[in-house]
Amino acid sequence: MILLLVIALLIWRGAKRGLILTLWFVGVVAMIGLFRYHVTSLLDLSF
Amino acid sequence: MAEVVIEETRIIEESGEPRGGVWGFITYWGLHAWVLAYTVVMLSAFFIQFVKGEFPCPLCMLQRYGMILATCGALFVIMQARRGVLTTARYAQGLGLGLIGVLAGASVSVRQIELHILPGDPGYGEPFLRLHLYTWAFVTFAIVMIYVGLMLILMPRGIPQAPPAGSTARTVSTVIVWLFIGVVAANVIAIIFLEGFAPVLPDDPSGYTLIDQIKGR
Repeated sequence: MILLLVIALLIWRGAKRGLILTLWFVGVVAMIGLFRYHVTSLLDLSF
Repeated sequence: MAEVVIEETRIIEESGEPRGGVWGFITYWGLHAWVLAYTVVMLSAFFIQFVKGEFPCPLCMLQRYGMILATCGALFVIMQARRGVLTTARYAQGLGLGLIGVLAGASVSVRQIELHILPGDPGYGEPFLRLHLYTWAFVTFAIVMIYVGLMLILMPRGIPQAPPAGSTARTVSTVIVWLFIGVVAANVIAIIFLEGFAPVLPDDPSGYTLIDQIKGR
C-alpha cells in the first residue's frame, strides 16, 4: 500500500513516465503475489 | 527540462489531434468522476470498518489495491492533461493502467464472490442494498471496464483538456486529486494498524494487530 501511495505522489509531482510505469507494474506484481499468498485453497464448486 | 516540455507541447500541437471542446471537457471530468467515485467507495469502506466495526479481510484489502491501481491510471491522465503534455499515446497508457487495475481487482472480487456462492452461505460482512461489498466492488470494476472501453472508442475526439491554471475548475480538480491521495494515505495507516509487525494481513482479522502487539497481548 505504501508503494501505491508513492506512485500516486509521483504522478502528482510529475515524475518520469518510465519510473511511474515501472513502479505501477511492480504494484501489480505485488498484488498478484499477495493474491497467491492469501488464496491457497481450491474452491470445491460443481454445478 | 523546460526545452523538453516545450518540444513535447509543440509535437502535440502539430499532431493535428482534435483537442478541447465538449468531448475534451467530458473526458477530463469523466476521469475526475472515476477518481472521486473510488475515493467515496474507499471512504465508505472506512465507515464500515471504523464505525460498524467490520474488519477488512485480505481479499477486501486486495480489492482496494485494485481500485487504487486503476485510479492511478486516471490520475496519470489528469496530471498529464494539467501539465499540457497529454498525447493520444499517453492517454491510452493511462487507460491501459486503469483497465489492468480493474481487471486485477475484479479477479479478487470474483474469487470472494465464489467463496460465498453456495446456498445458505451468509457471506462476509453485512450486505449493503442486498449485495455484499465484494459484489459491489465487482460492479464498480465492471463499470470502469465499460467506461474505459467507451473512452477508447471516443479517443480520436475525446483527448481530455484541462482548464487553465488558476481557474476554479482547476482548484476543484486539485481537491479531488488530493482527496484520493489522502484516502490512499489513510489506507496505508489503516493497513499498518491491521497488520502490526507482520508483513501480510491475518486471514480473518478481528482487531488491530499493531495495538495488540504494542500492549503485549
